[in-house]
Amino acid sequence: MVLVIGAALTPFNRRRDGSGFRDWAADAYSQALGMAMLEPNDVDALIVASESDFFTLQLNPASVLAQDLGLTFAATLRVEGGGGSGQYAVHAAVDRILSGRANRVAIIGVDPSASALGADCVRELYGYSFDFWTDGLTGVSSTALYALSWQAFAAKHGGTEDDLNLVTIKNRKNATRNSGAHLPRNHTATEIAASPKIASPYRRLHCSPLSDGAAALILSSTDAAPSTRQGSAPRISGIGAASDLPGLGHRTDPGTFTAKSIAAERAFAMAGIGASDIALAEVYDAYAGAEVQALAALGLSADPLASLRDGDFDADGACPVNLSGGLMGQGAPVGATGVGQTATCALLLEGRYHEGLQPQSPLGHALADTHGGVATSCAVTILSAGGKV
Amino acid sequence: MKHRVALDYELAEGWLAPWVEGLRKGEAVASHCTACHSSRFPPLRACPVCRARLNRWVTLSGYATVLSRTTGTDGDFVMARFDGTEGGAILRADHLPDGAERGRLRACGADDPPTLSLAAITIDEPTP
Repeated sequence: MVLVIGAALTPFNRRRDGSGFRDWAADAYSQALGMAMLEPNDVDALIVASESDFFTLQLNPASVLAQDLGLTFAATLRVEGGGGSGQYAVHAAVDRILSGRANRVAIIGVDPSASALGADCVRELYGYSFDFWTDGLTGVSSTALYALSWQAFAAKHGGTEDDLNLVTIKNRKNATRNSGAHLPRNHTATEIAASPKIASPYRRLHCSPLSDGAAALILSSTDAAPSTRQGSAPRISGIGAASDLPGLGHRTDPGTFTAKSIAAERAFAMAGIGASDIALAEVYDAYAGAEVQALAALGLSADPLASLRDGDFDADGACPVNLSGGLMGQGAPVGATGVGQTATCALLLEGRYHEGLQPQSPLGHALADTHGGVATSCAVTILSAGGKV
Repeated sequence: MKHRVALDYELAEGWLAPWVEGLRKGEAVASHCTACHSSRFPPLRACPVCRARLNRWVTLSGYATVLSRTTGTDGDFVMARFDGTEGGAILRADHLPDGAERGRLRACGADDPPTLSLAAITIDEPTP
């Protein structure tokens, strides 16, 4: 069994205080280690999620972070899977513990996605997240590809711009109660409609921001966890991953996140539960429509558009989605995103999350969902409450 | 603190060389799977249906049907299906009139990167 004995996130925002990614990583790690009640020497391995050396200008970032964190001679590894990098790092850590090759693993997700490069540079680099020779050199942006995918989904299922607005308003409203969120806003549909059209139907306010920040997790086998953490720490009960064709046009249905469905099925099978058992989820909402497409793929609703309109995914709904604010509200420092989603689920399951967002009733299972590309490299993690649940 | 890094890459076309050469001439060169008789543009090295390795190149008519289109500050792009292929391609649509349902592959420059772009079909052009 793999326990989440430590979890922490720095604020996600655009840093203007002179700090760098190594500072944020150290901050998140220090908090997570404290929650885990461990010392640096107790950690066997460090796994770092960072999407691109173009942002950090640091090849082999795990080596310098190990040095900064006092983890010299620990086994180190850097994991990259585009936007899904953080969740893939979680999976690598789980595999390492389940295989018996480590007892306690630290995971750091970090990227200076907002402050290192200008928006035009980032748009070009993100365009290389798909197929460089076809999409990348053609100059198609991430937003344009997601827009074409949403159009295909909406044509099949009846999604409208009002639905995009509902997701945007919900996630940014949740972010107003998350003190670490990048875009806490109480948007109106009128305000969203007045924002520039980036790639129809997506307007600027339907898109997640570029953020700076870090998140950290400390995972442990049950036997290696401090006794004070063994009873209450949530566990990672299921992981699953799958990859689709990077070229959107090559897929049988460009609006359906097929690889995400397969990843979720694998995670549910490992956990021995079904989608109906999930109490809350942190879902990859790089764009408003992508959240709806993800909810459909994950099976969290038979009719996600109807559930969205009925408020089922609201903070007080039947299955809250993106209580943190998601990428749209909390922000998106790419390597930190998936680690942060899992950290958020762990903190929620343990009753340690932000006041005003922490559900009052006990929670059983939570789901963290991340992907790279347009749901190309998909990674899903299921967490289950510790203790008596 | 500012720090500038300038990178000049030398790109090797590798297995995509026939496709790139076609784009430079305005010809849509597709991968063809002789096992399941499906063609893909842009090409795929392995058939996504039967997983056979690419074993034949075919030159298409170059005409395509627009499936969807997105416009905005990020540019003008379409997803289009080329005649004789399965699936679709993502192409620039700067040279495609608004509302156009069909277009033809536009050649990229001889020394330019292999950019995918769909252009208007001229009035006197025999459309298939």
